[in-house]
Amino acid sequence: MTETSNKPFLVKFARDYGIGVALALEIVFFSLLSPYFFTADNLLNVSLQISITAIIAAGMTFVILTAGIDLSVGSVVALVGVIGTSLLKVDFPLPFAFALTILAGLLLGLCSGTVAGYFITKFSITPFIVTLALMTIWRGAAFMYTEGRPIWELPDAFNFLGSGRFVGIPIPTIIMVIVYLIAYVVLTRMRFGRYVYAVGGNIEAARLAGVKTHRVLIQVYMICGALSALSGLLLASRMSSGQPNAGVGYELDVIAATVVGGTSLSGGRGSVAGTFIGSVLIGVLRNGLNLMNVGSYVQQVVVGAVILLAVMLDQWRRK
Amino acid sequence: MKRTVVAIVVFLSTIFLFGSCAKKEEKKQGKVIGVSLLARAHIFYRDLEEGLKQEAAKEHYELIITSADFDLGKQIAQIEDFVTRKVDAIIVCPVDSKGIGPGIKKANEANIPVFTADIAAHEGNVVSHIASDNVAGGRLAGEYLGKILNGKGSVAIINHPMVTSVLDRVQGFKDALAKYPGITIVADVGGDGVRDKAMQVAADILQAHPKLDGIFGINDDSALGALDAARQFKRTNLVIIGYDATPPAVDAITKGSSLKADVIQYPTKIGITTIAKIKDHFAGVQVPKVVPVEVGIVDKDALVKNSTNTDK
Repeated sequence: MTETSNKPFLVKFARDYGIGVALALEIVFFSLLSPYFFTADNLLNVSLQISITAIIAAGMTFVILTAGIDLSVGSVVALVGVIGTSLLKVDFPLPFAFALTILAGLLLGLCSGTVAGYFITKFSITPFIVTLALMTIWRGAAFMYTEGRPIWELPDAFNFLGSGRFVGIPIPTIIMVIVYLIAYVVLTRMRFGRYVYAVGGNIEAARLAGVKTHRVLIQVYMICGALSALSGLLLASRMSSGQPNAGVGYELDVIAATVVGGTSLSGGRGSVAGTFIGSVLIGVLRNGLNLMNVGSYVQQVVVGAVILLAVMLDQWRRK
Repeated sequence: MKRTVVAIVVFLSTIFLFGSCAKKEEKKQGKVIGVSLLARAHIFYRDLEEGLKQEAAKEHYELIITSADFDLGKQIAQIEDFVTRKVDAIIVCPVDSKGIGPGIKKANEANIPVFTADIAAHEGNVVSHIASDNVAGGRLAGEYLGKILNGKGSVAIINHPMVTSVLDRVQGFKDALAKYPGITIVADVGGDGVRDKAMQVAADILQAHPKLDGIFGINDDSALGALDAARQFKRTNLVIIGYDATPPAVDAITKGSSLKADVIQYPTKIGITTIAKIKDHFAGVQVPKVVPVEVGIVDKDALVKNSTNTDK
């Protein structure tokens, strides 16, 4: 590693700030190519668009840090969306119906995470299989619950959660920022955060050191479930309806954002800050391609290639 | 308690079974047609079934109507049952265009003519496929948009180019707009036909085209997603056209939102046409491989008129 100092400054810089540099390049690129990209309005639009998956990605980072995976997130989004919105139709005074919707939605997410964590720890089934099963179970449940139809005609006040603004900033964007700040503090400043890294780095060593590894594992899935539920509520509010087919494929978007952000699928390494940049990178890419009117076939290819490139860059940086 | 319930259920179903068998025996003279619908819960298929029944009653055909409930295995089993019972023709609304192949081939081996309604099959020998004319539907949407914009402006398409019927809709839409040189299609992006994705891409389109005049959503979820995005940016002067006239879309149209009109399919007509084509086939008349069924377009005026009619 002694040769490092001989490398040109730019190479060194790119190496040290890999993903951030990629994001900066992307932003410059789209700013030059589309006059609509670098406007306050569009940047707020991007922040609103990424908020749904980025909030889930924060939870997914906890899970992936323990070397796990959660494929059920998109289905949780749909199930919470339809059950939450259906509770708004209960004949309660509006504030109570609201509280019920949000509490029940978040509780549902926590339950999903608990079930996942329980099967993973108590029966030693790999997280991939457990959450794959939950993914189809929750999706089916959402379709059963609604008989395949969306739930709509919701009270207008519910729209505020997803479409409202506070000093010009969309509410989901604000919630996303709060979620990331909390997640950052938990992972870097709190004991639980250190346990998460320890379990992901070497679960046996963590157990021998006295960490209640099963408990930590169940808790990370609960966090991921609750954050998926939160996203589900925000999405339902933005669409002012509960859609049983919402959130299809979210798990892949979320995992991509997490991995692009430098979190290792084998656990123990990564950060929510990275995940945030990863989410922005993919969100900006999608937005930019749409602004430039790139067709959807081409977009899929480009997004895949950028994911590969970003992870490659990250690997190169670590060497 | 539990035993009593079980006993009653068994008793009732036995009676039901005997009852239906007895009925079948007595009018075996006419032609018998086996029907496997995609689902019975959906209003579209209920209307289609109604059309089948209407026309079959006229021709004195006996229909055996079953529903696959989105289960391919169940649908193939239903076709096998029809083959065993030696029905004179089979109508299928395939659960899966490719997966239904083996079922249709079994009917082919038994020389029973197969007709598909609404959804096509990619494998096996089908006498005729009867479905909504998606090209015409897209054309109606294009013409409506052309007229309402007075032949000027820029429009976008929320597409889902992975599906054949959608490609047809978009083709028709573009054909119609070709007659309006003052209208340009400035964006054509994929929204996967679901509301959340459609909302995201529509938001991007609205950003890129601050002066956009119209959006065509290839189904109602796409159109409603565009409507969500339009509301987010307070773009009230936009004209959005949807497809299918589902209840949420009808509601948005009648409430006077930016969603102005919807292409509507006539499933009852699909049912009637299907039986008519089977009749032709029985009579030895050559039936075309694909029979398009007309579609319509409804806007606020049409919907209000309709609802007052039905209220009477």
